[in-house]
This record gives sequence, structure tokens and C-alpha cells, in this order.
Amino acid sequence: MSVRENTSTRLEVDLASGGNSGVTPGFPPVRRPRRVNWGARLEIAVLVGPALIVFLGFVIFPVVMAAYYGFFSWQGYGPPTDFVGFRNYITIIQDPTFQEALTHNGIIVVLSLVLQGPVAILLALLLNRKLRGQSLIRVLIFVPYVISEVVVGTGWSLMLQTNGAVNGLLEKVGLGAFTQDWLSNPDIAIWTLMVIITWKYVGFAVILFLAGLQGIPEELPEAAAIDGASFWQIQRHITLPLLAPTLRIWAFLSIIGALQLFDLVYIIWGQYIASTAGTSTMATYLVTNGRNAGNYGYGNAVAVVLFLISLIVALIYQRYVLRRDTEGAITGKGKSR
Amino acid sequence: MKVNHTTAKRIFAGTMVLGLGALGLTACSGDSTGDGSSSGGDVTMSLWQNSTTGPGQAFWEKTVADFETDNPGVTIKVQSIQNEDLDGKLQTALNSGDAPDIFLQRGGGKMAAMVAAGQLMDLTGGISDQVKEEIPEGSFIANTLDDKVYAMPVAVLPGGIFYSQDLFTAAGITETPTTIDELEADAAKLKTTGVAPIALGAKDAWPAAHWFYFFALRECSPAVLAEAADTKDFSDDCWIKAGEDLQSFADTEPFNDGFLTTAAQQGAGSSAGLVANHQAAMELMGAWNPGVIASLTPDTKPLADLAWFPFPEVSGGDGKPGSILGGVDGYSCSVSAPPECVDFLNYIGSADVQKEYYAAFNAPPVNTVAQEAVTEPYLKQIIEAYNKAPYVSQWLDTVYGQNVGNALNVGVVDLLAGKGSPELLIQAVNDAAKKA
Repeated sequence: MSVRENTSTRLEVDLASGGNSGVTPGFPPVRRPRRVNWGARLEIAVLVGPALIVFLGFVIFPVVMAAYYGFFSWQGYGPPTDFVGFRNYITIIQDPTFQEALTHNGIIVVLSLVLQGPVAILLALLLNRKLRGQSLIRVLIFVPYVISEVVVGTGWSLMLQTNGAVNGLLEKVGLGAFTQDWLSNPDIAIWTLMVIITWKYVGFAVILFLAGLQGIPEELPEAAAIDGASFWQIQRHITLPLLAPTLRIWAFLSIIGALQLFDLVYIIWGQYIASTAGTSTMATYLVTNGRNAGNYGYGNAVAVVLFLISLIVALIYQRYVLRRDTEGAITGKGKSR
Repeated sequence: MKVNHTTAKRIFAGTMVLGLGALGLTACSGDSTGDGSSSGGDVTMSLWQNSTTGPGQAFWEKTVADFETDNPGVTIKVQSIQNEDLDGKLQTALNSGDAPDIFLQRGGGKMAAMVAAGQLMDLTGGISDQVKEEIPEGSFIANTLDDKVYAMPVAVLPGGIFYSQDLFTAAGITETPTTIDELEADAAKLKTTGVAPIALGAKDAWPAAHWFYFFALRECSPAVLAEAADTKDFSDDCWIKAGEDLQSFADTEPFNDGFLTTAAQQGAGSSAGLVANHQAAMELMGAWNPGVIASLTPDTKPLADLAWFPFPEVSGGDGKPGSILGGVDGYSCSVSAPPECVDFLNYIGSADVQKEYYAAFNAPPVNTVAQEAVTEPYLKQIIEAYNKAPYVSQWLDTVYGQNVGNALNVGVVDLLAGKGSPELLIQAVNDAAKKA
């Protein structure tokens, strides 16, 4: 009895809240989803619309325009008229200066991972334990990441000049033999850049890793410790494997950042001498040969090449490395089936 | 469900209101910038110049304020843009159709590109008789294309070597060098006194390229230089010779340590700053340099022992001895600027303002009446050398336009850094043509 009563009341309530008075009780499942869909669709459109418009207008549209301009010899004045087909792209691929820049990007990608990864993991493990001055150390490590690239670049370039503070300090402490042209010696400059990049971005990796470490349940290391595992065994066999998703995401961000590196190099080495000092990147090549030279068609072609390289690397990485983390997303389809 | 629906409606309405509001805002700002064409009413103009510190910046503020007082209803907004950023910013502004009304004009190929794109106002009929009388016709040539004047010249800025007399005396140098061999010998003497013989701001590339340009001026005949401007063909032997001259000169290591990352004009560590603080003895630079050096001395006063000599001669070259490189700085009006822009240009060409220009920038003014006020011996020397030069060319990066100029500048830096050769420099310039 009571069961029946309950069911009927629920049905009434449902009808009332749906606002479908006068509708035959047998059909509500058909009509109701339609109304729900209409409202939900509008909601989706309203919520997604602005972001979509901004994304199309400021990301997709410029990419399409760059691809279009890349086929022209165009100095930026008036609409482009001198169609040259793939000439710009052929010139880019054959230009030794571009090949150098691409090589530098490759070096920066690899060295960023190799230098920052281990350092950041060690720092994160250290900071994850209880120790005195923990918050202070965290702040100190994270501060460089927060400082603007322009400030970092200007500061380091002043300190590292031939007559700058670093060489001055070396001389004062009796290490005069180690003074160098840190920025202008092509054999050293890229290492100088790597030190600055590591100093600047290691804090970001540490924060990511710390967040990842927070997500590892305490029971696992505890249980391992009870079973007699040493500290390093715990890190090697429990912490690192569980931290792997965070590591993979960090490596992805690091690779993309390294491929598109521009601001630090441009601030420290200026508009012209990055290629001479051996620190040019594809992005600085773009500005030197596109904007500074006034060859906007060529510059757009370089931008397309840079975009394609980044896109291919990103897709490959997502497909093969991030597959486990992006289960169900487009690139992970094969596995979820 | 109902609640949800109205929420969605509200959000939608809210978005619409926001959107309309944004439209309204842009409409308003559109109105306020559109008042340029009409005269008589209130006129607002923008002015871009490259003085960011000291008396140079003060000069523009005062000149604009004086002009505004004489011309009620006219407002000029001065924007100071650091010299190294000016060209790029200006081109972006011109290309986007949002050009400043009045801006610094360096002439040459860059100006030709602006004219070709229809972005400059033709000033030919607008220049006042008084200005025409006081500024020699020759000074207008750099800013003239097909018999039309596109900029008001304000200063003649020929290049040469600025040096510190005190440091020369300390090194036992009594006479300024007239040949490259003598210059090398003097540089060696200066090195023994512990100062850098020659300051070079190669980070900005063009100061390094000036060395190559002067060697090219000595090695190449005026005909070859002029032909290269038309054809962008650099196959004549003299270009390679100029590169070899520069390379063998650079091999004597006359430049300051770390010149590759030394900026030209910013701060005490820049090449001008090294001269201003007696860290380096010489600098090859245009006639704007005394003003830049003055702003970088410890007391920001002009350097007391500053002096000048022309670029030394090279034996066996095809260039005419005494030839000089130098720019004429001018100011252009954008094609959409109001007519008051021309009035302002006439004003800055007048003798009184030109005298103030000279005082502020410590550079030779273009107005002959104002030139009489010049007292510094080095500026008189520069004007004299300029006036009697058998051949005057603008800086080659300006003459050959942005693309080739950029490639030349970068190529010379590579050469000086030991990364290139004279052949590679010429090759880089030819390659640049492919990217155009």
C-alpha cells in the first residue's frame, strides 16, 4: 500500500515541476527530454559562445591568415598581391640560419628536461618532508618563475656582461681564471641561457611535483616502510611511479615552452645577435627575418613552420606518452575501446 | 527546469548587454579619433620621437607646449620611443593604419617604401618661404622622392670618430689618425694605458655595420654605391674588399671587451656610456653622439674633452677621399594627419626652434641661421667636413631599405664575431633578397 502511494505522489511532483499540466501521463518521457535539451543547448551556447568567439577570432583566424600570407612575397603594406607559392617555405628549409635556430630549439628542449627534471624532483622530495624554513625555501624557489621575463633577462644580462657583476665577483674571490664572455662567446652562450632558464622555470616544476606528491596516499609509503623499504627504495618504487602523470604533463609543458622560447633570448641578446651568439630560436628567427627585415610574407611562413613543428610534437607526445593520462580523449580512443 | 531556463535567459541577456556595451565603447572611441580631418575646431595630433631622457625629451615637451600656445585648439601628444624600438613599432603602426600623425623620418629606402604605400603626406607645397630660405636645398634631398618632399629635415648627422682628448693625451697621441694604419697604431697605444681603444655597441648591430659602411664608402666608387641602391646587386669586388678591410682591422682587436653584447646608447655600460665615462677612447658614430654621451656622463653634462675626426682614408680604394656618410633626421606627416601637421613641421624648421634643438641635442641643426649659434669646435668641424665632402651618402642600411639593411647589419656582426667571412657577408645580403 504504502509503496503504491509513494509512487503516485512522486509522479505528481514530477509533473508539477516539469510544468506539463494537461499532458497525458503516459508520454512525459518523450516530450520532457526535448525541453530539457533546448534549455541546456542554449545554456551551452551562452556559456561556450564567448570563449569560442575569442578562440576562433584570436587563435584559429590568425593561424589561417598566417597560412594565407605565407604564400606571398609581402612587405606588409596594403593587401598581399605577389603570390609565390611555396618559395618562402623552400627558402626557410634551405636557410642555414633557420637550421641553426631549429637545432638550438632542440638543444633547449632536451637540456630543459635533463637539467630541470632531476633538480625539480629532488627539491620536491626535499620540500615534501617536514623541515625548518620549508615555506621560505618554497617561496625562494618559486619567486623566479613569478618575476617577469623582461626583468629576469635585463637583470641577468647586466650581471653577465664582460664587465659585469659575475666576472667582477669571480675576480674578487681569486677565481679570475674563470671569467668568461658569458653572453657573447658562442661556445658558452647557450649554456648560460640554459642556466638562466633552469633557474627561472625549475620553481614551476617543483610546484607541480609538490602538488603531485600531495596526491600520493600516505598509507603506501608507510606500508612499504613497515615492510622494511629504505627511503630511496620508497621513492624509486612508490613515489616516482605515482608521480609519473605529473612528470609527463610537466615534460609536455616544458617541451612546448622550449620550442616557442622567445622573450628571454630577445631581451638578453637583443634584436640582432642571438644567431651570432648561438642562442637563436625559431621565434627570434621569425622576428629578425620577418618583422625587422620587413618581410611579412616570409615571417608568416616561418610562423606556420613553427606552428606545425609544435603541433606535430604535441600530437605525437599526446598519442604516445600522454595516452594513459588522457583516457577517453580523441588521441586515446584506441585504448579505451 | 523553469528556473534553469530563466537563468539561461538572464545569462544570455546579460551577455547581450555586455556585448552592446562593448560596441558602444568602441563607437565612442571611434568618434574621438575621427576629428583629425577638420581644421578650425579642436585638433589632436600624436608625435613619435626617439628621445627618452634629459634635454632631448624636454626639448620636445617645450616645443610642443610653445606650439600649442601659439595655436589654440591644437593638442599634440608626444610619445617617446626608445630608438631601437622605433622603426619596428612605426612600421607596425603604419601597416595597421593607425600611424602617428607626426614621426621621425630617416629617409632612404625605408621612406621610399612608405611613399610607395601611400602613407606619407606630400609636403612640397606646404613648406614656408622662410624655412625654404634658411634650410639649404641639399638638406631636403634626403627626404625628396620624385621631386616631392616628404619630411622636414631637422638635423644633419654625418658620421665620424668621436674621441676623448684626455685619453689620447694620456696615451701620447698628439695628432688624430688620417689612415687606417695610423688608427691601428693609435689603438695599440691606447690599449697599453688600460682603456678600450674603441667602443662598439654591436648588440644593436647598426653601430657595427657603420664600420663596414665606411670601409665600403672608401673602397667603392659613388657609381657602384648608387647602382647597388637600385639593383640590390653587391657583386662588385669593392664590397668584398670592404669586408676584408673590416676583418683585418677587427683582427687587431681594437674594440671593447664583450662588444657583441654591448648596447649602443642605453646606460653606462653602452658604447656611448663607455666614452662618457672615460672607459673607452673612441667611437664611430653619427653626429647625434655628443648629445647621447652627454646624457650618460656622471653629471649628465656634455663631455668636456670630446673631440672629433673624420673616418680615416684607405689607400687604393675607388671612393673619393673625404667622402662622408650621414643621415638627415627629419619629421614626416602621415597621409591622414590634419593640415596643422605641416604648420608644426614649419615651426620645428624655424631658426629659433632649431637653435633650441641644437642646444638640447648637442647636434648640428639643419637651419643655416641656427648653425651660426654652434660653438663646439667638434660640431663646427663636422659641419665643415660635411659641407666640403665630394660625395655624401646616407647610411647604407637606410639607403638599401629594411630587408637588405637588416641582412647587412646582422652579417657584419657575424663577421666581427669571427663567425663569418667577407664572402659570407655578401652571400647573406644576396640571400635576404630571396626572403623579400
